[in-house]
Amino acid sequence: MYEVSNVTVNYGAAAAVSDVRLRIDPGELVVVVGPNGAGKSTLINAMAGIHAVASGHLSVDGSDITREPPHRFCDRGIAIVPEGRRLFGNLSVRENLELGSYRAEARRARADSLRRVCALFPMLTERMDAPAGALSGGQQQMVAIGRALMARPRFLLLDEPSLGLSPMIVQDMFRAIREINAEGVAVLLVEQNIAAALELARRGYVLDEGRVVAEGEPASLMSRPEIQKAYLGT
Amino acid sequence: MGRAGGEDHLTVPSATLLGQSVLSGVFIGALYGLLGLGLSLSWGMLRQVNLAHFALAFLAGYLTFQFSGRLDPFVTLAVVAPLFFALGMALHWFLGRFSVTLLNTLLVTFGLTSIIEAGIQWYWTADFHRMESAYAAVRWKVGPLFVSLPDLLTLGFALTLSLGMWGVLRFTDLGKAMRATTEDAPIAAAFGVNEKLLGYLISGLAAAVAAVAGLCLALNHTLAPVQIYAWMGVVFAAVMMGGVGSPVGPLLAGIVIGVSEALTMAVSNPTWAPLVSFSLLIAILLFRPARLS
Amino acid sequence: MKILLAVGAAVLCAVPFAGLPAFYETFLYLLLSAIVLATSWNLLSGYSGYFSFGHGAFFGVGVYTTAALAGQLGWPFLWTLPLAALAAMVLGVALGAVVFRVRALRGELFALLTLAITFVLSTIALNAVDGGPGIMLNVDMPKIAPTASGVLYLLMLAAAALTLWTAWAMFHSRFGTGLFAIHDDEDVAEVMGVPTYRFKLAAFAISCALAGLAGGIHAVFVSYVTVAETFSIALAVNVVLMSALGGTRHWLGPAVGAVAITVLLYAFTSGGAAVAGRALSGLILIIVIVAMPEGILGQILKRFGTKKAPARPVIRDPVSANPRKESAEPLLVVRGAAKAFKGVQALAGVDLEVRRGEILGLVGPNGSGKSTLINVVSGHYAADGGSIRFEGGELVGTPAHRIARAGIARTYQIPRPFPQLTVLQNVALPPMFGQVAMDRARAEGEAWRWLAFTGLESKAHRLPSDLNLHERKFLELARALASRPKLLFLDEVLSGLTPAEMDGALRLIRAIREQGATIVFVEHVMRAVMELTDRVAVLTYGKAIAEGVPAEVMRNPDVVTAYLGAAHV
Repeated sequence: MYEVSNVTVNYGAAAAVSDVRLRIDPGELVVVVGPNGAGKSTLINAMAGIHAVASGHLSVDGSDITREPPHRFCDRGIAIVPEGRRLFGNLSVRENLELGSYRAEARRARADSLRRVCALFPMLTERMDAPAGALSGGQQQMVAIGRALMARPRFLLLDEPSLGLSPMIVQDMFRAIREINAEGVAVLLVEQNIAAALELARRGYVLDEGRVVAEGEPASLMSRPEIQKAYLGT
Repeated sequence: MGRAGGEDHLTVPSATLLGQSVLSGVFIGALYGLLGLGLSLSWGMLRQVNLAHFALAFLAGYLTFQFSGRLDPFVTLAVVAPLFFALGMALHWFLGRFSVTLLNTLLVTFGLTSIIEAGIQWYWTADFHRMESAYAAVRWKVGPLFVSLPDLLTLGFALTLSLGMWGVLRFTDLGKAMRATTEDAPIAAAFGVNEKLLGYLISGLAAAVAAVAGLCLALNHTLAPVQIYAWMGVVFAAVMMGGVGSPVGPLLAGIVIGVSEALTMAVSNPTWAPLVSFSLLIAILLFRPARLS
Repeated sequence: MKILLAVGAAVLCAVPFAGLPAFYETFLYLLLSAIVLATSWNLLSGYSGYFSFGHGAFFGVGVYTTAALAGQLGWPFLWTLPLAALAAMVLGVALGAVVFRVRALRGELFALLTLAITFVLSTIALNAVDGGPGIMLNVDMPKIAPTASGVLYLLMLAAAALTLWTAWAMFHSRFGTGLFAIHDDEDVAEVMGVPTYRFKLAAFAISCALAGLAGGIHAVFVSYVTVAETFSIALAVNVVLMSALGGTRHWLGPAVGAVAITVLLYAFTSGGAAVAGRALSGLILIIVIVAMPEGILGQILKRFGTKKAPARPVIRDPVSANPRKESAEPLLVVRGAAKAFKGVQALAGVDLEVRRGEILGLVGPNGSGKSTLINVVSGHYAADGGSIRFEGGELVGTPAHRIARAGIARTYQIPRPFPQLTVLQNVALPPMFGQVAMDRARAEGEAWRWLAFTGLESKAHRLPSDLNLHERKFLELARALASRPKLLFLDEVLSGLTPAEMDGALRLIRAIREQGATIVFVEHVMRAVMELTDRVAVLTYGKAIAEGVPAEVMRNPDVVTAYLGAAHV
């Protein structure tokens, strides 16, 4: 279980995330939604060790990992698909995937992981040696997810994967995420595409202005006036 | 304009002279490439422009010279290289500790150059020194052309280290991690790459390569403190032309520069030679700056 | 103050007539020469941040111009001095004209390019002018002092006075402020109306001319000119060292550093100690860069300098330059605007109209192209295709500073104030370079009004880093308003604000509308959009999919899908 307890993360002088509590149970698919500027990216980056936590605790299976150096977070089974993909553009698709399995434990299972990623995203097989930066947005998103999977994670964190993608590709991608989750990988999904996200998940959090303002089952969240107001102003 | 000395017409050299020029251009280019390797790596991967690289190379050359009476130069290298590795790491630590920005690393390392150069001059004086070694005497005749052992050693080192580094970057996990960190360090870290460790490794390596370059300098050239600055310009040109961060680029560019300089010297007044490399550099900077950094 | 200066000047002029041993004249000459070189270097490199390692080249051009004309051709010495300055200046302008157009050539690349120039020029000088053995100068000196060295001293004194006056004048002028803005953030400066290319070129020209002048005088001082001595790297680095030591942000900083270093080096004149001197100067350089980035003078000013708060003008309500009149007449017409980055089509043919006097909301999901559109209209990026007409004039292809002059202003989503200019200076910049190019005093008066309007008066003399996010957003706002724009783009000014702060911001924006500005308001905070805007346009995937009255647009099914996403899964 990945537990976030009373975490505050600063962005510059202000608190981007204030006193947030959430958890991901093993094998779960949890969604975090919220308007822009709500702090979703900051939160997920902090959970991946990319951004420092000002106060509060992050713990995986009971061990506190809050103060661990960034390169140790993946050893705890955490892998991230960052906002905007952030692939290593000058490296080939294959090299990006190989880097996903850089940590020792993942490296041993590299060949097997590679096979699985190619099975999940067949269109990548023809593009293995192309520079990652040359791929289209949708293809890059596949590589980014593949890279995270290569790390053999127990907790997969996805930050707005549908950003800038056409609806058809988003469909494929969400199907893939469902499959990944079905294999036992817990998923935390930060999304703007609320309707689709809430259909995927069994539990969700609504973040607004750095705080959790609602939590619960998708059906109930969807009809909440907060969501309507926050997103559409009506 | 009347001036004393200096013919200013083009001479047509013989084929042998041309061939020897090209060959010597290749060898001097190899040394440019060797000096440029460390510079290119630390500039491209660590965002540190290390002007002190040249002073360090010369220091290694002087140390080799100093012990040449009692120790074989390669033995000296075996001792000096690890020492310089540590020095490189120390410099990297210093620049990181004070968060020195890219432009300022230029200035700080220039200050370091002054200090090292002054130290060299204090101990070895400003006189020219030439190392006597058994290696220098070994020469071969290839057709009408002459090739010396020190030349070949320089070329050998340059090829081995450049290609070796290229291989590491291309094929090993460590190399891929280095390339990834250069592009996006925080994300690389999220996948387990220890940026700090890599930084120390690269800076240590760059300095160790400087030690090797120093050995080659001592074998092939006369040493004098003022010479440190003479190499700066042309090696920077080679690095920028070959691509900052590339291990093999500076070698190729260095050879191009070396050969064109040598040909210029054979064909016209030798003092025009620097114009060649710098004009090439200026052209690159103006027309393809996107290749850099 | 003025009396002190006059007395000091008189004393300095009297030195050659005091009958001191030649050593003093020489020392003072070298000191003055260092002041000229360091101060002139700073005019471009310190003020605008374009660090040049080629100052020695232009100095050398001056030296060789005089050496060739006076030494080889026998021209009268004094006439060669303006020519030396001119030669250096022409070369600088030629170089700058090409180099400053290349956007990527900043920072360390510019430094290395100028270093390369030094080598090229020295080679040319060696081969074309000098020939190898150097040039001997035997010139007749004008009889303005008892000794030859006295004459040279007086000439260099004049050069130093000229240089320091130039530095002081530039520092206090609009020109100087523009250069400092370029130093802090060249792209933003350009968007705020600073003609960056012209300013850089002018600063470079002046800097080179002064170096050339010093070179011309120096040719006679050494009387035997060689390439190796003239074009040495030492000079290039010494001027950097002196300026960094004294402080590059102040007009007097390099002079302070020049005095310090020259005195220091003179203490090590004899043979063995010269080596120690070089080691010491290297050490000093390192320490200064690492520990004293502002330099000696900068450090002193920080500790002891109290900025006298200038007399604040009586603050009247900002008088509207654009009386509010709504009309259906379009102010801005965008047709087919396109922009791609590395394969991502950020704008895929946007059609949009902004009517005079309205507040138009621009909304859309993340990545839909809203910020890119603002960047393209304001000239921050060049559009790939399409047309953007403002008051009838085409904006595509126009340099950003002219777009600012036409009356378009914008705020940045993540505030980008000039970090080393005070809040007041930040806000005073657009009025100086915008539609009504005001002089500094009037611009600051204008700035005070807008600071009062946004409630930032008490922070006027602070640096932007001292402000919190809310205040920095208002600084962005004040800066955008200060140029009295006809069209104002607000890029997510409300994000990151607390609800209370947001109410304050909304009130402010309403007040701005009363002033008569037309506003395009990019926002995610929906209640603000619904409350404030007259019309709303929705952007997705780089195209505008709806435009109209807020209530209707937000109920449009396409818009709902775009925001909440269709349940495709």
